[in-house]
Amino acid sequence: MSTLMASHLHKTYRSGRQRITAVNDVSLTLKSGEILAFLGANGAGKTTTVKMIAGLIRPDRGQVRIEGRDPYQDTSVLGWLGAVLEGNRNLYWRLTPIQNLEYFGVLRGLSQRVSRQRAEQLLDQFQLAHKRQTPVEKLSRGMQQKVAIAVALIHHPPLLLLDEPTLGLDVESTQQIKSRIREIANAGQSILLTTHQLDMVETLADRVSIIHRGEIIVESTPKQLIQQFSSATYRIELAEPLDTERMIKLQSSQVTIIDTQTISFAHTPEKLYQTLDILRPLPLILVKKEEADLTQVFLKLVRDHD
Amino acid sequence: MIELLKAELKRTWIQSTRYPLEALGRIFITTCFFYALFLGSKYIAEPPASFGNRLDSIVIGYILWTLVIFIVNDIAITLQIEVQTGTLQQVLLSPYEPVKIFLARALASLLLRLTTIITILLIILVLTGSQLAFPISLLLPLLSVILGAYGLAFMMGSLAVLLKRIQQLLVILQFGLLFLLATPIEDWQGIPALLGLWLPMTAGAGLLRQVMAQGMALDGFRAGLALLVGLLYFIVGLACFRWAVNHGKQQGNLGTY
Repeated sequence: MSTLMASHLHKTYRSGRQRITAVNDVSLTLKSGEILAFLGANGAGKTTTVKMIAGLIRPDRGQVRIEGRDPYQDTSVLGWLGAVLEGNRNLYWRLTPIQNLEYFGVLRGLSQRVSRQRAEQLLDQFQLAHKRQTPVEKLSRGMQQKVAIAVALIHHPPLLLLDEPTLGLDVESTQQIKSRIREIANAGQSILLTTHQLDMVETLADRVSIIHRGEIIVESTPKQLIQQFSSATYRIELAEPLDTERMIKLQSSQVTIIDTQTISFAHTPEKLYQTLDILRPLPLILVKKEEADLTQVFLKLVRDHD
Repeated sequence: MIELLKAELKRTWIQSTRYPLEALGRIFITTCFFYALFLGSKYIAEPPASFGNRLDSIVIGYILWTLVIFIVNDIAITLQIEVQTGTLQQVLLSPYEPVKIFLARALASLLLRLTTIITILLIILVLTGSQLAFPISLLLPLLSVILGAYGLAFMMGSLAVLLKRIQQLLVILQFGLLFLLATPIEDWQGIPALLGLWLPMTAGAGLLRQVMAQGMALDGFRAGLALLVGLLYFIVGLACFRWAVNHGKQQGNLGTY
């Protein structure tokens, strides 16, 4: 059974006399221990979808099932999900990390005692034990974000919704949160992650779903997407400039001469050796197969659907 | 629910005492206010909820007036603050129903406020050697007033969920509360008297006036009726709040600013 099954979600809003479709026929599934990156430009429908899953926005059509149960029929199902929806704005700033964790633990249905035990464990896991008695308002943004994620995990929910968990964080804090997200998924919790940091998606996500203008335009693994959009382009950089004779030969072999010391060609690996024969014995600096990255894939997909 | 109430009590207490100077300032103002009442009650204007000109009537009148204003504003103000700070959405991700959470919050803040006021009063009583009389029988009409106030509080909370910012409405409402608490419906006759019984808090406040200012015995039937009306407003308030939260989910603007 899937941890999350959202089927054919549809949501429209009224703006004056107009009806605006925010989300149209969106379906998402998440298995145990899986990370699904849910990508889209601002206003594409990501947050509306995440909030429909979290029970904060009621879909006009479609259904949400968490561990097979409907959060709109049974509010106890909300105890099976944790969410970081607005970054560090999820917390009570006058309370310390331990007090926030304890409070939200009880709010998620834990007893005071269990909530305190879990809070202590999470503070250790997030390396925040030394800040347990510091009011959240006095913590750095990275630490606040870690507390916010810990709060979402306090009741050990099978499903975690992370909306922009690294927004505005420095490199070190982002790396720490990335590591924690991977560890959480490895422990068997499913994560729906929305972010604009596509390098993070490439390394973290098991699957990627891209939403554009309220509709899912592609769903695949990051690897498949990158392969699909990568041409087998080789790039060679030389230590010395090309002579005229070699330039003519390369041009006749359909090699693109970027400058006198850089060439590229979109051909098969066999063509690589033919090109290398032409270049022999010129000293080489770099031979690289160029691949598209997820950012290029994302931009291409979104532009193609405009 | 008890665990939730305990957690809300703890959260409210920590939040209100995080800055000692702020907390001490609040206690100082309340202490000065009540101390002034004890020192010169006869020189001070009667409270809007007037129960007579004896010291205990004036003190209880002021306590009730400030409590009612506090209760009626509490839920709506809390909601507006939590929407601004972004914590409301986290709160609504709870398996507890929103109505239960906000009821626990309202009770927690009322308990803390009552505890503060009663502690200050007791200290002043000891210091001045004064005495206050509050017959136990008055708890019934007092409860009816508090229930009615909570009913109104949840209705205001519903408006805060739907309209987001209702500060001006809350200011205007204070005049309405003045009418509800100060109108002597016990002196009304005929149809107005019957209609007046259905106003929130009015019947309970009238009973308090009769017993404390006029020295009359508590009318058990009217006290029961006042309690029933208070309960009715409380239930209607909860229903409105539940509807408003569902409507906010439908509109997709719950917890957004």
